[in-house]
Amino acid sequence: MDRRDFIKLTAITGTSATLASCGNPEHQLIRFIPDDDLVPGVAEWKPSVCPLCSAGCGLSVRVMEADAEVVRNGERGLVKIAAAKKLEGQPDHPINQGGLCPRGQAAIQITYHPDRLTQPMTRSGARGSGEWKPITWDEAIAEIVSQLDQVAGEPAALAFLARPRRSRRLELATAFVRGFGAPAPITFELFGDEVLRRANAISFGRDQLPTYDLARSRYVIAFGADFLGTWNSPVAQNAGYGAMRQGHPQVRGTFVQVESRMSPTGANADEWVPVKPGTEGVLALGLAHVILKNNLRPDRGADRGAGAPGVNNVRGGGAPGLNDVRAGASIEGWSGGLTAYTPEQVEKISGIAAKRVERLARELAEHGPAVAIVGGPPLAQTNGLFTALAVNALNALLGTVGQPGGVSFMPQVSQPLAVSPKPFEGLATAKVLLIDDANPVFASPKAWKMRETLEKIPFIASFGSFIDDTSSLADLILPDHSFLESWTDGLPESGAAVAVANVAGPVMRPLHNTRATPDVLLDVAGKLKKPVTLPWKSFDEMLTSSMPEAAWATVQKQGWAEVTGPTPVARPALRAIAYAEPTFDGDAGQFPFHFLPYASQALYDGSLAHLPWLQELPDPLTSAMWSSWVEINPSTAQRLNIAQGDLVDVTSSQGTLRAPAIVSPGIAPDVIAMPVGQGHQTFTRYASNRGANPVSILAPVTEAETGALAWAATRVKIARAGDPDGSLIMFAGEMREHPHEHEVR
Amino acid sequence: MSKDSARRISAMNEDLLRPLVETSWRFWLLVAVLGSIVATGLGTWAYQMYRGFGMTGINMPIYWAFYITTFVFWIGISHAGTLISAILRLVNAGWRRPVTRCAEVITAFALMIGAMFPIIHLGRPWLFFWLMPYPNQRMIWPNFRSPLVWDFFAISTYLTGSLLFLLLPMIPDLALVRDKTTGWRHRVYGVLALGWQGTPKQWHRLESAMQIMAIAIIPVAVSVHTIVSFDFSMAPVPMWHSAIFGPYFVAGAIFSGIAALIIAMAALRKFLHLEEYLHPVHFQNLGKLMLMMSLLWTYFIFNERLTVWYGNASAEREVFLVTQRGSFAPLFWTMVACNFAIPFVILSIKKLRTITGCVIASFTVVIGMWLERFLIVVPSLGHKYLPYTWGHYRPRPVEIIIVASTFAAMVLLYVLFSKLVPIISIWELKVGEHFVADATPQEAAEHPLLKAHP
Amino acid sequence: MPHRWGMAVDLDRCTGCEACVTACHAENNIPTVGPEQAARGRAMHWIRVERYWEGDFPDVRLKFRPVMCQQCDAAPCEPVCPTYASHHTADGLNAQVYNRCIGTRYCANACPYNVRFFDFFNPQWPKPLHLQLNPDVSVREVGVMEKCTFCVQRISAVRTQAKAETREIKDGDIKPACAQACPAKALVFGDLNDPESEVSRLSRSPRGSKLLDDLGTLPKVTYLARPSDS
Repeated sequence: MDRRDFIKLTAITGTSATLASCGNPEHQLIRFIPDDDLVPGVAEWKPSVCPLCSAGCGLSVRVMEADAEVVRNGERGLVKIAAAKKLEGQPDHPINQGGLCPRGQAAIQITYHPDRLTQPMTRSGARGSGEWKPITWDEAIAEIVSQLDQVAGEPAALAFLARPRRSRRLELATAFVRGFGAPAPITFELFGDEVLRRANAISFGRDQLPTYDLARSRYVIAFGADFLGTWNSPVAQNAGYGAMRQGHPQVRGTFVQVESRMSPTGANADEWVPVKPGTEGVLALGLAHVILKNNLRPDRGADRGAGAPGVNNVRGGGAPGLNDVRAGASIEGWSGGLTAYTPEQVEKISGIAAKRVERLARELAEHGPAVAIVGGPPLAQTNGLFTALAVNALNALLGTVGQPGGVSFMPQVSQPLAVSPKPFEGLATAKVLLIDDANPVFASPKAWKMRETLEKIPFIASFGSFIDDTSSLADLILPDHSFLESWTDGLPESGAAVAVANVAGPVMRPLHNTRATPDVLLDVAGKLKKPVTLPWKSFDEMLTSSMPEAAWATVQKQGWAEVTGPTPVARPALRAIAYAEPTFDGDAGQFPFHFLPYASQALYDGSLAHLPWLQELPDPLTSAMWSSWVEINPSTAQRLNIAQGDLVDVTSSQGTLRAPAIVSPGIAPDVIAMPVGQGHQTFTRYASNRGANPVSILAPVTEAETGALAWAATRVKIARAGDPDGSLIMFAGEMREHPHEHEVR
Repeated sequence: MSKDSARRISAMNEDLLRPLVETSWRFWLLVAVLGSIVATGLGTWAYQMYRGFGMTGINMPIYWAFYITTFVFWIGISHAGTLISAILRLVNAGWRRPVTRCAEVITAFALMIGAMFPIIHLGRPWLFFWLMPYPNQRMIWPNFRSPLVWDFFAISTYLTGSLLFLLLPMIPDLALVRDKTTGWRHRVYGVLALGWQGTPKQWHRLESAMQIMAIAIIPVAVSVHTIVSFDFSMAPVPMWHSAIFGPYFVAGAIFSGIAALIIAMAALRKFLHLEEYLHPVHFQNLGKLMLMMSLLWTYFIFNERLTVWYGNASAEREVFLVTQRGSFAPLFWTMVACNFAIPFVILSIKKLRTITGCVIASFTVVIGMWLERFLIVVPSLGHKYLPYTWGHYRPRPVEIIIVASTFAAMVLLYVLFSKLVPIISIWELKVGEHFVADATPQEAAEHPLLKAHP
Repeated sequence: MPHRWGMAVDLDRCTGCEACVTACHAENNIPTVGPEQAARGRAMHWIRVERYWEGDFPDVRLKFRPVMCQQCDAAPCEPVCPTYASHHTADGLNAQVYNRCIGTRYCANACPYNVRFFDFFNPQWPKPLHLQLNPDVSVREVGVMEKCTFCVQRISAVRTQAKAETREIKDGDIKPACAQACPAKALVFGDLNDPESEVSRLSRSPRGSKLLDDLGTLPKVTYLARPSDS
């Protein structure tokens, strides 16, 4: 072979190799030069903040190289990017202390979701038709500016709908709409804790969620609160719970759960006390009655005198004002009414045997420090505030308010949130609606007519990253960066003894043609005919200016900083607690069952139903995946001829839904429970048209004093509607260890 | 040799060689139908490989089901032939003569088909050769502690032995075909006959080789199904981990093997018009043998289930209950009816022990023994120690098609074989003629062949 | 002395929250199989939280325990594998060599804990979900078995790191994804050959027991009972 032949041969083989790799994008030869500084194979850990709930857990994000497909100058190719790989709890974070709940870990799938919106879009078909036309950011911003300019004369025509989160992000949105002259953002969350915040304001002068020092409790009694699953600050509470059980040699804390349907938290209890829905507060007062009557009240004052460290001394921070709330002082106000709550009376109302009430009260008093927790379904009754106040009173009586092993309040630097109990009222007059991270069409009862209200609004823009039940009604979509691609922040209100400000920068470059919503708002503010002047050029500038320099340096390193500032404290209103009887929607004869929608361990309030890891996470009690279901007590199921998997119609005064039945021994015979999360009309390939939404059939009853939705106060009837249709998917084969023995018994 | 005997021998040649030279359109139709079923099966397998093993109904925790059931079933069927034929040869049972080859062929084909299943059932069947030891640069051997590797050796040994055992006595017949045919057949059979001339020396060598093979193949046959049973009994799975499995599997294998043999013989008798050579007495004798195996099988399953029930160990009790009373109960009691009740009634009553009766009993036994293997494999896997992981199994179309197509494959191979080789050993039958002629009067009077040909 | 990796699961701390389950998916590139496949019993969770009801309403309890590969010293899955895909490493792990696996699924039958999972199809990560894949863990193709590895990639990383720094691996250096994520600190991982390690200390606890101990599999996972369960 001579040189010419060699060159020819090389050319031929080279060409054929190139041709062979054509046609398949995976084999695309073009590799662009990466923008990121990358060391292949070496992981970098960057701080971030979990955006999923108000707990505000600190994240440590593992960032490594990955091959992403991109288009540059019209050519498709691969480029190495620094990509987030895994979310872990930040070991030093005061709230989650290294742990992270399953939902938080799955948050990474938001960033990489295959159905995430990749660029601004405008509606091209009829509203809700799902037809969209891609547009540029310039066009999108011009559109929203022109819509705002049109309503500039009538400032009340602008409405901003958001999730209630204590954060600078919401503060910026507030500043924007206030600057425009419009009312503050409307915030709504199905599993909001407005009733408890109000009760805490009344009892302790603190309009916020409580923090529990479970690690040092010796006796915990929880009323309905799923504090190890979804409620308040679950990761912090799990950490405390673990330490309570096995953190001290020789001393193991006891845990009693009071509820009518066993929650994942209740499954951990040493004693599970099923109670009639809405009567939890009565039991709390009954316990208080026994303690007072028998003079069992622990002398916590002496403890303090002996120098036992208070919660606030331990972690450094201070809770000014709290220590002034002497347990004794607060009891003065309400103990007068207690005589009505004899154990016998409690038995009559709540269904808990008088003897058991006495025993529990004695155990509570003897095994201090003891703490009572309330949250979730008991506060979603029409008498929720009564229940919360009753449990607060019990805590005061137990003497562990602001004490080790008790309940305390995190110092706060931000103002309490104003949550809108009835968001649809605020929307009725709106002409331009901006939606940020909220899905009220899904998360509110049909009776509120959220969809109808939105349909009447002439212009809706959504900042969401996904088309969901609400954003499908939008006219304009301005997709936000994911939390890993942008500045994020949060000001948690509970879960630690010190005030924490979470702030973290982006851990990776944006994957898509998206923009950070706060920056979009700032951009729009400047472009209006009558500009809204805001003191910041960008969101990160706002964040920088929000804290002292030293704190800012810390924040950049670890994603959070301890902050101090004046904590708003009101004077506790001392008053006697009068029993408010719970009322329910629906006649007990016609609708014989209490209907209990509950926050799903995997999908929370449904806002996470689009994440495949969570869809496939077996439910803690039933092991169901990818499903909706109705939990029914075995005796009820037998009576109504319903077997596991059978389709069941659940009917309230508001409508009917159909879902498969799960026969579960962990629920009272007169209660029907159903997880919230499924039943989205539109919410990506993973959640669209999957299962049923229990929220839709809730009656629009509200907690009497706060006006919050009483989501546990609807009564229903059920009927077998058909044979199993295969929609109930279970991970477990059998949930009795010896099924035959159980049958025999 | 009497004149009568010579006439019969010539008729024998004619009758038994006829299928080799005369082919009717029915034959081609049958081959076309069976061939297309087999092709569907192969296509389905290709589809299963292409789409992924998930096209089957296999799931966690029931990782073995239809394929392994059918694997054990075919390996069991294979025991008909060689083992029965070897035993009958050794005890020199005269009535074996027309039966042995039909039986040995079943072994060869059932083994070939059965051995396909461990490969069909692999997650990555294209790497099946990793089950075998073969020279390679990296010195990687299979794991000789694994019963699956024992399977490989046991089955390949048994297949080799069975093929030899089948082919050795075929040599004189192939020579006969060579001598009786012309043209291409003459040449092909000439090669296959391996230069057989029928010299006394050749006859002597053949006889000793047959004797050695007959003795050697019996322990191999017993070991094969014992080793197949080890696939189950070596694993700590409730009701698998049992010492009874070796003999239980061997008994079950012979049981189902006899059933298959009876069905095959009846089919040959009818379609190849071999009424002259396969007599009711052959069926009755095999029927008696099958009755005995039925009773033995019943004895084993009674032992197995009684000890489990009485022992009441928690994990085993769950499997016991789910088969006996739970979701598998209908299959279980069908199995008992098929393997015990029906054959017992038919075969123990002389009036019912006709050819038809034996064939009916054989069909129920074949069904019953397939169910037996299914009931060994699936309920145990579905009900292991941790109830949280219990599972259910439903076969999916690919499994049903592939399993069904192997039955067609068996028939197809059998049909093709009987087209190419005399399905009844002609020379052995002739030897029998001599034997009958020289027999003592009493024996001769009792011998049904003699009755048939007065 | 070689290491002998083991784990202690404190059932009194475990709240059944399943943070470990998601953490395991994220770390080990475990695919989600989707509703149709999940309905056929093919969902993959290398670690699962098993739950059993006891009693009837109102005296009902739910007992639960996280179950992952028990990394048995006398593992039934190992001898039955014809290709050595399932084998024992020097530091006591039951390794699964995906490339060597031909998918007989015999190991899964032999495993009394049912913690081995089979890839019935090639795993799917609709783009760009694939960007999340952990580059330290291989993605398994159709037809192979997979199971909990005690996050062997993390063990290797720490071993390499320690070697580079010419030091011994310290107790607590290695945390599998499940143990790292556990909010209640119910999972403790470490070297059972080091009598001072936390996992050794916990494994000696009078509350400790092994799952299906009587099968003689010698698991390296110790379950610490909830006092109220006994």
